[in-house]
Amino acid sequence: MAVVKAPTLARPEPFRSRILDWLTTTDHKKIGILYFFNSLGFFAIGGILALLLRTELARPGTQFLSPHAYNQVFTEHGTLMIFLFVFPMLAGFGNFLVPLQIGALDMAFPRINALSFWLLPVGGLTILSGFLVKGGAGASGWTGFAPLSVQGGSGMDLWDLGLLIVGTSSLLGAINFLVTIVRMRAPGMTMMRIPVFCWAVLATSLLAVLAIPVFTAALLMLLAERHLGTVFFDASHGGSPLIWQHAFWFFGHPEVYMLILIAWGIVSEVIPVFSGKPLYGYRGVVLSFLMVTALSFTVWAHHMFATGAVELPFFSITTELISLPTGVLFFMWLGTMWKGKLRFEPPMLFAIGFIAMFLIGGIDGVWMASPAMDFAIHDTYWVVAHIHYVLFGGTVFGIMAGMYYWFPKVTGRFLSRRLGIWQFWIQLIGFNLTFFPMHVLGLRGMPRRIADYLPNEGWTGLNTLATIGAYVIAVSIALFFINVFVSLRKPRDAPDDAWGAGNSLEWATTSPPPAHNFDVMPEVRSGRPVYDMRMHARAQGGGSTP
Amino acid sequence: MSSTHRFVRLGVAALVLVSMAACTEQPATEQAQQTHRLFYIILALAIFVSVVVEGALLWAIVRYRRRPGDDEEPPQREGTTRMIIAFFLFGTVIVAALFPFGEVALGNIEQNPTPIVTIDVTGSQWQWSAVYSNEGVVVSGKTFVRPLVMEVPVDEPVRINLVSNDVMHEFFVPAFYFMRNALPGHPNVFTWTPTRIGTYRGQCAEFCGLGHYQMRFIVKVVNPTDYQAWVQKERKSILKINCPPAAGNNLELTAHNISWNTNCLAITAGQSASITVHNLDAGIDHNFAIWNSLDTTHQYFAIPKFSGVATHSANLPQEVSQLKPGKYYFQCNVHGPSMSGVFIVEPAGSGQGGG
Repeated sequence: MAVVKAPTLARPEPFRSRILDWLTTTDHKKIGILYFFNSLGFFAIGGILALLLRTELARPGTQFLSPHAYNQVFTEHGTLMIFLFVFPMLAGFGNFLVPLQIGALDMAFPRINALSFWLLPVGGLTILSGFLVKGGAGASGWTGFAPLSVQGGSGMDLWDLGLLIVGTSSLLGAINFLVTIVRMRAPGMTMMRIPVFCWAVLATSLLAVLAIPVFTAALLMLLAERHLGTVFFDASHGGSPLIWQHAFWFFGHPEVYMLILIAWGIVSEVIPVFSGKPLYGYRGVVLSFLMVTALSFTVWAHHMFATGAVELPFFSITTELISLPTGVLFFMWLGTMWKGKLRFEPPMLFAIGFIAMFLIGGIDGVWMASPAMDFAIHDTYWVVAHIHYVLFGGTVFGIMAGMYYWFPKVTGRFLSRRLGIWQFWIQLIGFNLTFFPMHVLGLRGMPRRIADYLPNEGWTGLNTLATIGAYVIAVSIALFFINVFVSLRKPRDAPDDAWGAGNSLEWATTSPPPAHNFDVMPEVRSGRPVYDMRMHARAQGGGSTP
Repeated sequence: MSSTHRFVRLGVAALVLVSMAACTEQPATEQAQQTHRLFYIILALAIFVSVVVEGALLWAIVRYRRRPGDDEEPPQREGTTRMIIAFFLFGTVIVAALFPFGEVALGNIEQNPTPIVTIDVTGSQWQWSAVYSNEGVVVSGKTFVRPLVMEVPVDEPVRINLVSNDVMHEFFVPAFYFMRNALPGHPNVFTWTPTRIGTYRGQCAEFCGLGHYQMRFIVKVVNPTDYQAWVQKERKSILKINCPPAAGNNLELTAHNISWNTNCLAITAGQSASITVHNLDAGIDHNFAIWNSLDTTHQYFAIPKFSGVATHSANLPQEVSQLKPGKYYFQCNVHGPSMSGVFIVEPAGSGQGGG
């Protein structure tokens, strides 16, 4: 196992051709890395926007951002984080890992893969360029509710066009993943042997293929409404603003499951490795993923209880039902840890943080699933707390687990353990400091998306606390960027099976893998081919594992 | 060991419960009490699930950490179908226990008892206005200047008909535990029954553009006497309305959907005048009467009530056209304040009167 293959190239290529190589590459691993860099860039921008918002809200009175600026900033914060950080980040993991995990040479359509990446920065910069035009960037919230989104200047058009481009990218990527997973698996790699991470990518891709076209249609309707004089959303001409909401949420609710499913996949890979056990209930996890995929198309109108225009009991029961497969996952993760031998390396810390925080995000959603209760907390800071417990406490902790876990595979170098542990604790504290008080703010009636509040409303103290927490989060994320930067300058030292306990095929090849992925394709006789190899080596007495 | 563990768990649960209780506002309507109770039912279930799952997580972290030097492989259990089914059942039981509570609360909230007060509330960028059509009261906020202030009597069902003039808004009173979207072209109807006298803040909760954060309003729940006094006071504000005299002193007025097309009529003093009333409400009686003031103690003139769809014309008697210049009051005697307005007699030669 300790054999490290010497690189075949005698000396590095000249600088210019290396840039050209990254610009034209169709290698899924390089595209995956491009996804990471692109996503982390937008993560940094979205995070700075969040700090602007929290700074403004720290005290009552508009000291820092005008209301118009505030509205643009919260709109772009949400849009960037959801469409240009979280989803592409997860797509980056998928790109790098899916072909390795199923034992393929590359994605099914390498050039389309490159196209779907390069559309992303174009779409993202289109949205951001709204800040440069007269009237500013789109300012209707990331949900772009009509008819408000029909108002506003050309920044709104740039928001719309940018999302059309990003949506196209996601759609192409999803088709690529589906074909790759279904058609490109190595011999012996049956569907019930692929890692759960691949199942998560598969489920996400299904959601994307079915949901994104609806969003594309809504965005085109909005463009037509703004420029061609259509009246889809205009009640005075027989249209209805509810049309936008139905179309948006029919996409939007599957969308939030796209944002969490791959994080579930990551955590389901990390926990077994650091527990020294196989994933508990693989079939149950796969079943849960597929149930969530199916049910997520039946819950969209729980975002619309307060419109008074939807069937309340139906959408309430479907919403509570979707918590069943989600809840089962917690037992699978706990079952994996149960009677294991837990190693608290940074990936495991973040995975445990994910379980603890995502549970809160799942539970505080139960209040909103009950329409009577939702009437009291819908569109308050309770919702802001909920979405961040799911997407930050859940997805971002999951992304960090994946980052620390696969960084040695991607780069051949470990991220610093010390910095990782510091980052974890600071992030956990900052996160709860920021977002837990928002539940209470919601109960006290603070609506979301307000640029200012009055000193006598009893919201000041908790807002100040949340702002302090936001800066603590910023410190933890800064530590992460420092960790990446410092670690990339170290020499390569990661073995093939970097954590000494890998299960899936990516741990059978070198770190980083060669362009063709595998020098020798291991035999796949179970869902844990690398575990089998390790056991085989041990049985032959051929030295202990590194 | 296990008893201390249980004790710690109970302590944590109690702590969470108390801290959450401190966070919720006292409910101020019958409907809010339902929601408030539902909040605690869900909280109890939430604490149960949290303690089970987070507790198991903590237990695993403490109990199953790898000891240094322990290289033995743990048992490679993969989970049985029976356990997977059990986990699904656990969730099913929770959902089955929870859903009925939500439905009962919802059913109680959505009952629409016969209202004592009906208010038409309209949201627009960025203010609220409220029309008490039966009382003839119109109150409104002013964007960026002052919020809408509306009063309602305690212990009486108040029905709100909610609509928007432009984009989506949301009518939210935290102490009433209730919000509802104001949508253009899609009126929403709901009922509050306030139970506690007090002043409650409200605010638009659906992002509606630049002035969203300032789209506030105030609901005052008062006793019935104070409410009547407020209605009388607000009705007097009708007398502040002004409008120019009708051309040729020929007034025209249209009744449609049990309201007049205007709340202000004006004539020039000393000249003969006429009134034409169009009643567009099929099968509904309206009339037109001119009174001395809001207290309706002396009626100067009335045309007999007639059923729609029809038109009725009459010349105004000398008693009216010779009235001292000033402000008087008109209404449909059938519908009272909900079809009323100010009747102005302008002094002759005040400019617009000729013609």
